[in-house]
Amino acid sequence: MGKYIMRRLLQIIPVLFIISFIVFCLVYVAGDPVALMLPEDASQEDILQLRESLGLNEPFYIQYFNYMVGLAQLDFGESFRYNTSALPIVLERLPATIELAVAAMIVAIMIAIPLGIWSATKKNSAIDVVATGGAVIWKAMPNFWLGIMLILIFSVMLGWFPVSGRGTWSHLILPAITLGTGIAAEMTRFIRSSMLEIMNQDYVRTARSKGLKEFFVIHKHAFRNALIPVVTITALQTSTVVGGTLITESVFSWPGLGQLLIQAVNTRDMAIVQASVFIIAFIVIAMNLLADILYKLLDPRITFR
Amino acid sequence: MKRSVWRKIVLLVVVAIALAGCSGGGSEVGGAVTEKGNDRVLTVAVGTDMVTFDIHDHNNTSTEAIHVNMFNYLFKKDKDGNIHPELATGYEKIDDLTYQVKLKKGVTFHNGDPLTAEDVKFTLERVAKDDTLQEYPNYKQIKEIQVIDEHTFNIVTQSPEPSLFHRLSRLGSGILPKNYIEENGWEHFLSNPVGTGPFQFKEWKRDNRIVFTPYENYFAGKVEEWDELVFRVIPENSTRVSELLTGGVDMAVNIPPSDWERVNSNEGTSIVQERSNRVVMLILRATEGLPTADVRVCQALDFAINNKAITDNVLQGGGIPTRTRVGPGNFGHHPDLYDTYNYDIEKAKALLAEAGYPDGFEMTLHSPKGRYLQDAEVAEMIAGMLAEINVKVNIEFMEWSNFVEMRTANENKDAYLIGLGNSMFDGAYSVDWYRAERFEGHTDYKNDRIEELLATSAVNMNEEERAKQIQEIEAIAAEEVPHIMLHEEKINIGVNDAIDFVPTPDEMIYAPTIKRKASE
Repeated sequence: MGKYIMRRLLQIIPVLFIISFIVFCLVYVAGDPVALMLPEDASQEDILQLRESLGLNEPFYIQYFNYMVGLAQLDFGESFRYNTSALPIVLERLPATIELAVAAMIVAIMIAIPLGIWSATKKNSAIDVVATGGAVIWKAMPNFWLGIMLILIFSVMLGWFPVSGRGTWSHLILPAITLGTGIAAEMTRFIRSSMLEIMNQDYVRTARSKGLKEFFVIHKHAFRNALIPVVTITALQTSTVVGGTLITESVFSWPGLGQLLIQAVNTRDMAIVQASVFIIAFIVIAMNLLADILYKLLDPRITFR
Repeated sequence: MKRSVWRKIVLLVVVAIALAGCSGGGSEVGGAVTEKGNDRVLTVAVGTDMVTFDIHDHNNTSTEAIHVNMFNYLFKKDKDGNIHPELATGYEKIDDLTYQVKLKKGVTFHNGDPLTAEDVKFTLERVAKDDTLQEYPNYKQIKEIQVIDEHTFNIVTQSPEPSLFHRLSRLGSGILPKNYIEENGWEHFLSNPVGTGPFQFKEWKRDNRIVFTPYENYFAGKVEEWDELVFRVIPENSTRVSELLTGGVDMAVNIPPSDWERVNSNEGTSIVQERSNRVVMLILRATEGLPTADVRVCQALDFAINNKAITDNVLQGGGIPTRTRVGPGNFGHHPDLYDTYNYDIEKAKALLAEAGYPDGFEMTLHSPKGRYLQDAEVAEMIAGMLAEINVKVNIEFMEWSNFVEMRTANENKDAYLIGLGNSMFDGAYSVDWYRAERFEGHTDYKNDRIEELLATSAVNMNEEERAKQIQEIEAIAAEEVPHIMLHEEKINIGVNDAIDFVPTPDEMIYAPTIKRKASE
């Protein structure tokens, strides 16, 4: 297993290399940021002068070479917007995003597990139809709309939660619900189908024939086994969660990586975009690896090769 | 499945939550809880984060609106555009290239260092000489600062510079602490900034909040009204409005017209408006071969646009029709061209026919979307108005960075919509947009009289004459319409009724002037 993990860790390097190349190309193609840095009435001369000062008139390959030299030392360059090194700014935002992502996953799990089991055990009942239909509707709801609606109802009308910002636990609840419910919708359907498959297995029938109470059959025998793929799916949801934070963080002014990345794209702050995408890619790859390891831990039938 | 494996997983989740919970939230908790309901904390919601504490390396009005609370300029403009000494006591003209300025005595930086002429030299020469700084183009006119004594210095310019004091009373001319920066380095200064202003830095959580406290030894007297000044970054319009409605913030900037009614009808909040110094206009391209190369066509387009209908209906009163970019409070303002507009459909049709387009023509209008107040709706309404004189307008809406790139690459077609401000409040800066050399290949507009006036006014040290020259340029431009002026935008700020805030056209949020209303 140690060898397997080491091999997977080494595979991360070329993947990150390819990602960084793609991001560099995309940012390069999107155009240089100088025109956005200067005011509307800046002259052509001012633009050319600043472009030269920042080394943005160098050819593509020289800019890429400089970028790679920096990257080898984990230096993504200076943020044009903040005039300071990009990586510390990105790392500074990471805890807020992790906090939101973890909270959203907890919300998702808390909704999806009971609802998934319930709709599986009451297959084709009214509850099942409402739960599965509701999951589709919930999944289809855009995050920004849901976020604004939650603010209007729970903050403006009822005054139960703060509108935005990061601070106390109460600040976390609305953004976590906004982000978590979309994931919950997907997980509910997954748990339901996983449970339905397990419920038809021989060992469940055996448990029932032993005269075990239905509660124990479901929770001790069926659910535990149904959960194996769910755990890995949960880990694989990382990219969905990170994608969701882009919108959720903006709506709730949550000072995380998503909000930073949106601002950086708008201002073509290359260094921040590159550092953010690099860190996000690393997290997603790491979570994929974790999913594989968890799968092995939970299901002894799986072997690493 | 083994029980121990589950235990490990549960433990992992608990640790992750605990780590996330502990991660850097500490100080934010205090701010969020204390500011609500604490009437001695002034909380302002802004749409974008401050970009830096480097006063020379940004050109961002919203950043400057925060900086003015921490730094002082040598001179300061009032609401009417009059320039008054701030850190200076006054100035004396030595010759056309040299002004002698004296500093106020007893001014100290937040670290206790006294303000001296050496600080001024350090500050102004940095921005005048370092061409990598974003404010360099506005200060490169300064050749050097000659220190005479601790509180006296000469400003020497490269050539006669009639706009010098307009430059020194705006963004980029706050004075920095030389010794503090030299001893600790720039990086330290940027994270622990020190100025001479009424408020001193407490903390900056990027994209979250910037917190200041009143400076005990402020030379004009400590601000007693507030214990803390907080700028909260809330990019989403509806969230900013909701924070205002629930009392989470005391003021919220840039409230979109769609929310004005909501703010005004809510008990305890209102929208306050003030004219800004930003004028929205159509820049026409006079390149030969295009219909807009003919002055009569430009005039016809201007006559076909009903500016008042735009400000009343689309902007819901959030703009003032104008025929000049040089508004009140600007040097060289032409009062006859402000708060007025041309609108005469018949005359527009006649002019078009005279120019050889009796059946109209087709043109392209580039417009940003979401940059200015109701910009897309304004562009659409203009297209509708021009259709009345048979001019078919194809609007190309562009994302802002693409729009900027279109402009810098001179790929503009017949016309584009843009809003232009003037932080110097000097008309010379605005009318320079008619200079042929500057916009060759972009607008290709040229008027020999304007060229002559621009050349002479740029070095004219006689204020009265210079003002007349700028006004004459405005009058010619209003007649020939190389740019169709639409309206001056208004600033729209949502304010809690418990505080007294009067916005200023420079869009600064100067906290010492904001007061709590006496409770009834």
